Amino acid sequence: MKYPKYDYVAESQLMHYEFTSLGPKGEIKKIVEYSETSVANVYNLAFGDYDEKAGGINDKIVTNNGDSQKVLATVASTVYAFTGRYPDSWIYATGSTEVRTRLYRMGLTNNLTEIAEDFYIYGLKNEQWEEFVVGEDYEAFLVTRKIRNFVI
Amino acid sequence: MRIERINKAKTPIVKIDKRLNKFQGQVLFPEKLEAANKVLTKIALPKLPDNKG
Repeated sequence: MKYPKYDYVAESQLMHYEFTSLGPKGEIKKIVEYSETSVANVYNLAFGDYDEKAGGINDKIVTNNGDSQKVLATVASTVYAFTGRYPDSWIYATGSTEVRTRLYRMGLTNNLTEIAEDFYIYGLKNEQWEEFVVGEDYEAFLVTRKIRNFVI
Repeated sequence: MRIERINKAKTPIVKIDKRLNKFQGQVLFPEKLEAANKVLTKIALPKLPDNKG
């Protein structure tokens, strides 16, 4: 990705990732999660702030740590890692708020040239999936690898 | 894998931290998963182009 990203670590199944956002608000732990959905091979992508003391997640908080591009680039990198392990998977993502969904759309747009080389990208609009178009508003996103039988 | 291939690979080499294994099998964002399931059960996945890998 053309944007800088944070280093991250994962658990051994590559379903959960952790990284630390650094900015004016200090160090904020972030967790990225891929969850199995009710549809085979489709995983829900979610991420948010992790409160280690409370052992809980907050995906609605507006962190304002001044690094949203870097955070999104890091999350996008986990998509490469996850689909490297699970190449047949589809990844569904939406924001916890409309503003956040727009932020995801901007993140996809900013990195579209590179992402589109490797993934089919769809946006949900009027209860239909359509090929992602820059500038369009979508309710959710779906991506899947173009080349599935690759060797790392 | 040869070093030059590793350097060119877009798929990152991920560091595993066993500390995170406590999350395995957990759903940390249940509301988002529920919302995703509602959409996915209602709206079929798009059809991929025939020339997919």
